[in-house]
Order: sequence, then structure tokens, then C-alpha cells
Amino acid sequence: MSGAALGQWRGSRALRIGGCVVAAIIALAVISPWFAPYSAVAFDVRLRFAPPSAAHFFGTDEFGRDVFSRVLVGARYSLAMGFGAMAISVIAGVPLGLLAAFHRGFAEAAIMRAVDLLISLPPILLGLLILAVTPPNLWKTIVAVGIVYIPILTRLTRSVALGLLEEDFVQAARARGEGAVSILAREILPNAWPPIIVESGLRVTFAILLGSSLSFLGLGPQPPSSEWGLMIAESRQFIDRAPWMGLAPGLSLCALLIAVNLFGEGLRERLDPRLSGRGRA
Amino acid sequence: MPETDLEVAERAPGAGGSSPALRIEDLSVSYATIRGRVRALDHVSLAIPRGQVLGLVGESGSGKSTVVLALLGLLDEAAEVTATALEFEGHDLLGDPVTPRGRRIGTVFQDPSSILNPALPVGLQVAEPLLVHRRMGRAEAFERAKELLAQMGIPRPGAVMRAYPHQLSGGMKQRALIAQALATEPDLLLLDEPTTALDVTVEAQILDLLDGLRAERGLTMLLVSHNLGIVDRICDRVCVLYAGRTLESGPTSALLQAPRHPYTRGLLGALPRPDRLEAAPLVPIPGNLPDLTNPDPGCNFRPRCPFAEQGCAEPQFLSEILPGHWVRCHRVGIVETLPWPLPEPVARAGGGTPERHRERLVEAAEMQRAFRSGGTFARLLGTESVTRAVDGVSLAIGRGESVGLVGESGCGKSTLGRLLLRLLPAESGSLRFAGEAVPEHPAAEFRRRAQIVFQNPDTALNPRQTVAAILSRPLHRFALAEGPEVVREVERLLDLVRLPHAFRSRYPHQLSGGEKQRVGIARALATRPDFVIADEAVSALDVSVQAAVLNLLADLRARLGVAYLFISHDIGVIAHIAERVVVMYRGRLMEEGRTAQVLHPPYHPYTEALLSAVPVVGARERSASRIRLAGDASSAVSAAGCPFAARCPRRIGPLCDTVPPPWQVAAEGHRIACHIPLPTLAAMPPALGG
Repeated sequence: MSGAALGQWRGSRALRIGGCVVAAIIALAVISPWFAPYSAVAFDVRLRFAPPSAAHFFGTDEFGRDVFSRVLVGARYSLAMGFGAMAISVIAGVPLGLLAAFHRGFAEAAIMRAVDLLISLPPILLGLLILAVTPPNLWKTIVAVGIVYIPILTRLTRSVALGLLEEDFVQAARARGEGAVSILAREILPNAWPPIIVESGLRVTFAILLGSSLSFLGLGPQPPSSEWGLMIAESRQFIDRAPWMGLAPGLSLCALLIAVNLFGEGLRERLDPRLSGRGRA
Repeated sequence: MPETDLEVAERAPGAGGSSPALRIEDLSVSYATIRGRVRALDHVSLAIPRGQVLGLVGESGSGKSTVVLALLGLLDEAAEVTATALEFEGHDLLGDPVTPRGRRIGTVFQDPSSILNPALPVGLQVAEPLLVHRRMGRAEAFERAKELLAQMGIPRPGAVMRAYPHQLSGGMKQRALIAQALATEPDLLLLDEPTTALDVTVEAQILDLLDGLRAERGLTMLLVSHNLGIVDRICDRVCVLYAGRTLESGPTSALLQAPRHPYTRGLLGALPRPDRLEAAPLVPIPGNLPDLTNPDPGCNFRPRCPFAEQGCAEPQFLSEILPGHWVRCHRVGIVETLPWPLPEPVARAGGGTPERHRERLVEAAEMQRAFRSGGTFARLLGTESVTRAVDGVSLAIGRGESVGLVGESGCGKSTLGRLLLRLLPAESGSLRFAGEAVPEHPAAEFRRRAQIVFQNPDTALNPRQTVAAILSRPLHRFALAEGPEVVREVERLLDLVRLPHAFRSRYPHQLSGGEKQRVGIARALATRPDFVIADEAVSALDVSVQAAVLNLLADLRARLGVAYLFISHDIGVIAHIAERVVVMYRGRLMEEGRTAQVLHPPYHPYTEALLSAVPVVGARERSASRIRLAGDASSAVSAAGCPFAARCPRRIGPLCDTVPPPWQVAAEGHRIACHIPLPTLAAMPPALGG
């Protein structure tokens, strides 16, 4: 990113606040194994269902595990699912979109119809289809969520690229007889990435949510893992005795989603020319 | 601003005696932006007597549209507007711009396609002011709207009423908008570049319409335009605006015949004119608009003025040098006697080779290309519509020759350009380059030797690449330079288009329009081509910049021996740069010949109409012999005969509709596709006058 862009990084409040919170959550998640006050998996039968206190901020669960420590460690799963899945969709979806835009005809028809097929299935059902056949684990959930969001990236990339392919500077590249790879890499992609980044930033929220939903259904990381969706699922039967067991991961998920959304929204304000007003030198 | 200017303004323009219909005194507008306060207008005063037309001219950034928006109270909320008077027939527009807007003040904006609501039928939009402001009943309002459309010269007004904007041509839409503006019978009509988005032949129709309205209804008009020819055609008085200040104002003919301010002189000198072929080269005004965030307290044209001296740093005032003729220049008496410094002479000849000995570089034969609209279903049902963009065109261009291709929008000229570069596949026809056939997917050598410069400098350069990256890519691609040579070659290219070496590290958004266009030219020249297509390469530029780019192109041709195909709708530009002109209409060539031959009889009736539609400064008396075309290039479907037959004012009979016109050779290298015998064509009056 150029110096000018970095200078304007401070521009939006949403970007600043969202960015700070997301960064804080990522930092906490990374250092959680050393930072967490207790082990996330160690039982303590004497302390079952202890309410929140100075010793256990978010109380304990049915095995006496510290919920605060579990939530901290569990943040890594949510982040991994959100950003990992988006990375997969970008890596697969963007080249497909570029290809569809550049090679009108058979390649476009094949890619776009496949995308239509994927998009016509409800995300949770698609995730279930992918995960149901083999024993679930974290990586499979990430890949499944990634696949769910490929069509959105492919469509977006294609439409942005189609617009750019009409531009005169692309005609100039054609007049030099440049090949497809050169045109896509030099002329299209550098101009197409802002909307792609913005869209994937906003989609991280959905990916986290979908990932958590899948593991709520038992199709994600398995116990004793402290993935938030799984924690919420396990807490259901104790909701009258120990509401903090579900509230703590639930509210954490909420905070993370809001922060990521703010960050994505801020990115959009910053990068989308229609919102920022053109021609700021 | 000191008080003296106020005093001057008290008596300033208007000069009609009786109270003017519109009076603007000391109008200033400024905006707060990231870079600081931009002063868009700086104490502008003007007045229009009832029934008169005032032309407000200036280049982009001069603030002329800001005047219109200020009168309508439509400026951005961030704008700070001050004026000692902003009055329309005694009504204070500064305090209450809303009441007269749309009722007593009608407005016509530049681009008719973006002003009309695409989702509503045209009739409703014309009737809307009547429904809203006059509280007329629906039937009555629609009846009146229909009458108005008929008065604007719209052929079947009933059908147009029911049509949606996308079904109408640009000229029709502009007529509908004028009808809408006139619906409430306003006393003042504000016209902001009303014909800029239209073809010359349609522009001429609209100007005739406006001229008629003024004569019949005694309408007062404010015409904002960058085109001096249009202003000369219908305005009584002209006011020249530069960077927010009035530099000169006076009666149209006096001001345009004998401009006093150096800027006005510069504008006229930079104008390419089809009626002055052998005249001196165009005289560009060097430099760019001054920084509006930091207005010069002295003369703001000073940095670009060839006559500037120390006294120019003092504040300048409008002074009345002749009755009603005001100039803001303290040296006006001295300056007007000084000759304008000419640019370094430009060799006009094509490398000194006599024309007939020139080797042929590009030879296209029977090129054909159609565009289909409608999808697969339309094709199956047989309802698909086919537009023959290029319909059997043969064209040859010699080495080092510059050929102009002229025609209205939609005539297929840009498509032909892309066919010649094999950027679009042709359906049939052959293309030879330097004696060899060019296949559909040409080899790298053809790509290197044939290049293109685009119309819009804003989209022609990749916004994410620096100038150095843009210019070095062609060098790498064709292995023309390596390592440190690349840097030297990029510098040579920048020198060639007269840009400083420091521009290497700039991004396109850091350049002005003229500078971007120079980078675009440098990129085309980087491959050391033999043939360059300039597709409307100067039409997006201001006159002063356009002149510099045209001179640069002419100079490069003389030095490098490059052949040009200059595609333009502006016959003035073509006449200036091209040795040979090709006239195109609806995909076919109508006439071809040396520039001087094409500009004088005998010529094709279409060429005649094009020439006569061009608004030329100082040619008011031409109006008597003016040829007017009805409709526009898309209005009639041609049959087997001459594509122009439906609009041709000199159509001789059914022959024109059924038999394709033969090529008649008027002189060596000059041919005309028309049924009318040559002697009759030769006897036509010269369209450019004199």
C-alpha cells in the first residue's frame, strides 16, 4: 500500500474501532495458551457450576472448567474459521471469476452455471452436505465454509473484471498484444482488489457465524474443544442452572462479529470510490 | 477585494439602460475541501437585459456552471455563497431561490441522457412542471406537453409522449428537456452546455430552435458553454470567465472579432478552425489553471500570460475600454498591439515525401462488421436487430500520412479504427500492413508497429500504475530496452511529449487531463510504431490544451514519420491535422480526398451538411445558406440505396433509395459516393462561407 493510503488509514472511525477490537481479539487468541488463568480442559469437580466471581470471571461449567479460559482459547477456532474460510473462497473464487470474465463463452458458461448451482443451496445445508459424510474436525469445517462462499467471490470478481475489461487501458494492453495472464495480473487485478477485499471483509462475519452454527450442530471441532458454537450447544441443557455457560461464548461471538463487521464497513468506506468521493489527490 | 471593484460592478455589464432581467453583483462562492478553501467564483458580476442572450464562456474549472447552480440555489451545502445582489426581476435569489425555480426560471443541463428519469415516460416528465407548479389537471397538462413537444420540432409528439427516454435519440431528449424547461413559460432560461453531448448536425438544430425561441418569445437566456462558435451564433453579449473571475465581457461580435484580454486572444488562437486551413499553427496557452485554494491577488492569468510583467501582481480591475466592453487587464492598451508569440514552427509535410510516391502502409479492403442485439431467443425468433457498424469500407493510408476520419456518433468510425488494429475481429474483408496480410490474431510485430491513443485520458491509463510503469511495459513487452536503458528510454519518451522527467513516479490521478493525454501518446509511441490511430484523442480536452496536443502530434509526425488515422467528430480538428479526409456515414464511406478538396465544393451533400452545421466563430452571416439535416444518424433505416438518402436535403428521387451510389472521381485522389452529377455538386455554395 502506498504512503498516501496509509496516511488516510486513520480516516474512518468504524475502521479504527473495528480494527482495534479485531486486533485485540486476535492478540488475545494467539497468547491465550500462556495468558489464560486456567487450563481450558482441566476438570475440577469441586467447582462445578460456580457462578462468575473474581477467581472465575465467567464462572465454571458442568466439569468445573473455567469458562473465561475456554472462551479465550475458543476464540482461535472462530478466527481460524472466519479468516481461513474467507482465504479459501478468495483463493478459489477470484481466479474463477477472472477466468469467467476473460474467456466469454464455454468457460464462462461452465463456471457461472456451477456457481449458480452452489448458490441455490442454503449455506447451512451445503455445509451439512460437505461435512456429513466424514467425521468432522476443524479443518473440514473451514474448507466447507470456504466452499460455501466461493460463488459470491466468483460473481463479484467477474462483474468487476467485466467492467474493467471495457476500459481503454485494457484496450491499450490488447493493442500491445498482451496475453490473458498479463492483462489479468497487471491491468485487472490491481484495480479489482478493493471491492474484493471489502466484500471478503464483510463476509468474514458470515463465515464465523456459519462455522459456529455448524459446530453447534456437532459438525465442527469435537469435545472437549472449546469452540464457541460447541460451547453454546453444550450449555443448552444447563441454561437454567448456569446461564453464563452459554452467555459467555454467545456474547463473545457477538462482540467479534460486530468488530469484524465494523472493520469491514470501515474498509468499504475507505476503498469504495462511490462512498469516499472521487479524486482525492 | 478592494472597494474599487465594487464601484465598477455597480455600473458593470448589462449596459442596456433599463433594469435588467437578471442581475448578479459580486457573486462569490467558496467551498471547504481537504486541501483548503477553494474559491470557485470571485466577485463575478453580470446582468442580462430582458430578451437578451448572454454567453458565459470558459474552460473547465472556470466556474461557469457554478454560476448556474448558484442562481438555482442548488450548490452543495458546504458552499459559501455571498453576493451584493442576486436578483431576477426584482426577486432575491440569494434569500429564496426556490420560488422561481422551475416556474419562472427554466434550466437545461448538459447531458440529456442522465437528466431524464429512465423509468418514466417522456410525456409525463414534460408535463410534470405543469402538474406540480401550475396545478393543472392531468389531461390538460398532457395536451399542453404535446403541444410543446410539437413546437420543439418533434415529429410525432404523441408517440414521443408515450416513449421512454432510452427509446429517443440524444437530440430528441434534449428537445424534450427544453420543452420541459419551457412548460411553465419561464422568463429566463439557463442553458448549461446544452449541445455539448450532441452531434454537430443535431447541435445546429437545437441552436436554431433556441434562436427561434428568443425571437418569438423574447426569452432571456444565459448560455454557458466552452464553445466560442456556439456563443457567437446566438449570444448578444459574452462574458469570459477564468478561474472564477470575469476577465472580459462585451458585445459578442466586438469581443470575438477583436478580443482585448490576452486570455481571450489565447482562446481564439488555440481554436482549430475548418475555415482557416492555411493559417498559422494553433497557438496553445502554456500551463494549467491556477490553484483555486490560493487565489492570486493580482491577475490570475499572469503565470500563463506571455505579456506578464511586474505590475500584473497588483490587483486588476475591470475597466470599460469601449462602451459596454470591459476588460480586466491594466496593460490592455499596450498588450493588444503586441503580437502573440508563436510556438516553434511545426513542419507540416509528411517527412518531405511527395504524396503520390508514398508507399502504402495500411490497406483495408471491404471491411465488414455488424453488431447484433438481442439474445439467443431473439436470434431464434428472428427478432434480433443487426447494426452494420462498418459496411464494406476500403481505405488506404500511406507511410507517414495523416488521414482524418470524420462522422457523427454511431457512424462506425471507432469500430473501423478497431478493425484496422485487429482489436475487433472483422466479419469479412482483408487487411494488409506494409504489404503483408494481417491475420486475425496478428503477430507481435504488427502489434508493435500499429498503436492507438484513446479519447478519454481518465480511462486510458491504469490508475494503479506509475507513469514509469505505464511507459516501460511496452519496452519490456517488445524487448526494446533492458536494464538501465529502460530508464533512459522512458526519459526520452517523456521528452518527446514534453513532460518533465519527475513525472516518472506520478500516478495518473496526480496529472491533469492534458498531461494524461501526453502520457497516453508517449505510451503509443514507446513501441516506435509506424501507424497510430488517434481515436478522438483531443475531444475531451480544453481548447488551450487541445491546441498543444494537436501541435505535439503534428510535430511528432514530422519528426518520426508516423502515419496517423485521426478519428474525430470535430471537422475543425480534422481540417487542422489531416492531409486527407475520409467522411463516413452509417458504416460506409461517403467521400474521400485531400483536406482542401473535401472542405470545398464539389462535395458530398452529407459533407456539406456537416460543414455547414459547424459553429464557426465570426461566421454569423453564414446562416442564410445553412443546410439543416432533419433527425440524426440513427433516425432512418436505410434501404438498398444510399445510406444517407433518408436525410439528404439534395435527394434526387427513388434512385437514391434503391441503387447504391457510384464512386465519382472529382479530381485525383478525391472521390464522392453520390448519384448527383459532379457539375451539380461543384456548383453548390461553399458551406464555410467566402
